[in-house]
Amino acid sequence: MTTLLVLLLLAMGVYCVAVLEAWITSGRFRLMAPACSAIALLGRESVVPRKPDLLFFEMAPIVLLVAALLAAAVIPLSPDLIITDLATGALFLNAALAYVLVALIMAGWGPNGAYAMIGGWRFLGQLVAYAMLIVMPITAVAMRAESLATTDIVISQSGLWNVFYQPLGFVLFFLAAMGLAFLPPFDLPIAKGELASGVEAEYSGVRLAVFRLGRMVLIVTLAAATVTFYLGGWQGPSLPPWLWSAIKILLVTAAMLLVGRYVPRIREAHLLAWCWKFGIPLALLNIFIVGILLVVIP
Amino acid sequence: MSMLQQYGVLFGLIIGAFGFVVCLFVITRISGRIRQEPGKDVPATAGQLSRDPVWVRYHARYYGYALLFLAFDMEMAYMYPWAVVYKEVGIVALLDMGVFLLILFLGLLYGWSQGALRRQ
Repeated sequence: MTTLLVLLLLAMGVYCVAVLEAWITSGRFRLMAPACSAIALLGRESVVPRKPDLLFFEMAPIVLLVAALLAAAVIPLSPDLIITDLATGALFLNAALAYVLVALIMAGWGPNGAYAMIGGWRFLGQLVAYAMLIVMPITAVAMRAESLATTDIVISQSGLWNVFYQPLGFVLFFLAAMGLAFLPPFDLPIAKGELASGVEAEYSGVRLAVFRLGRMVLIVTLAAATVTFYLGGWQGPSLPPWLWSAIKILLVTAAMLLVGRYVPRIREAHLLAWCWKFGIPLALLNIFIVGILLVVIP
Repeated sequence: MSMLQQYGVLFGLIIGAFGFVVCLFVITRISGRIRQEPGKDVPATAGQLSRDPVWVRYHARYYGYALLFLAFDMEMAYMYPWAVVYKEVGIVALLDMGVFLLILFLGLLYGWSQGALRRQ
């Protein structure tokens, strides 16, 4: 029952984010736009390119959707609105999100097209850049919560949200999450106008619809993870907990999309260099600062 | 819920997502089929087949980073259990992990000085 309720809320969140994305990228606020484009995509032909790796081509959108859903399963929307409250929640989130890379490599390799191939391999480079900045800030969060369970992590922030306790970690995690969801400044595997949609290029019709749905779920999940780890999850005055979660998740998503609107696409070489030369030393510094704070102020 | 039930739910989620996608495929299959036309299945390379084969060895120009990434990724596997018990053990844990991280960080600096942090 809880599972269905969470999935329903997730679907509503995905729809809201789709409206939001259309609003931010096109400047027009239309409530029906995602529904119309979904129906249009389902009505279109879904062409399979010649000589594909059929297994990879067909499975890639599904793997993306499943990875995002599994990651969403450990995110609490309120103390009891969580699909599975695993004791290793934060680790499980990482493990599930690792399959986003697998999905994109499959989508790149499968269709036997040059642009898709380049997009897929590029995302592998992107993973090398962002992955450490996902796991290292989460380590600092787990240090404070003394647990990897996501509900414990939210409860550990009841005094002071992590965004104030470890602002460095928040900034790094926020940017790395955008890299993981390949949102605009980091949309290297898709890169419209440069790679002709990259890994999405050969997908059309229903397969593209599933791919886009998977990506939307991924965006919502990552925003929800940011809220869980740094913005106090469901905590907040007067309103019911799930509503607080929803408001925060939508605000974080809007912030992610807005950053993408005003920042030009970053080059892969620069992304790698910045992440390894600045990001990782800063992430280690963050762990060190949190370690000192935890010992000094019990 | 017991641990096993939780993983059961997760497994059900995978099956459910799979079933959902299959339903979508069935719906579109019922509502129409692909009209086979010549040239339709050419991958998006300016309307013609690419001159060279696509499935070739790709020069991963980030391999220097990738090798460092392996070392750091292994280290993170040790850091999660450490992070959970950190508060209990206290400052000793910080020193223990600090030495470990310092060696790793020196490795990063050494790699940087040798030009590993560069698109090759």
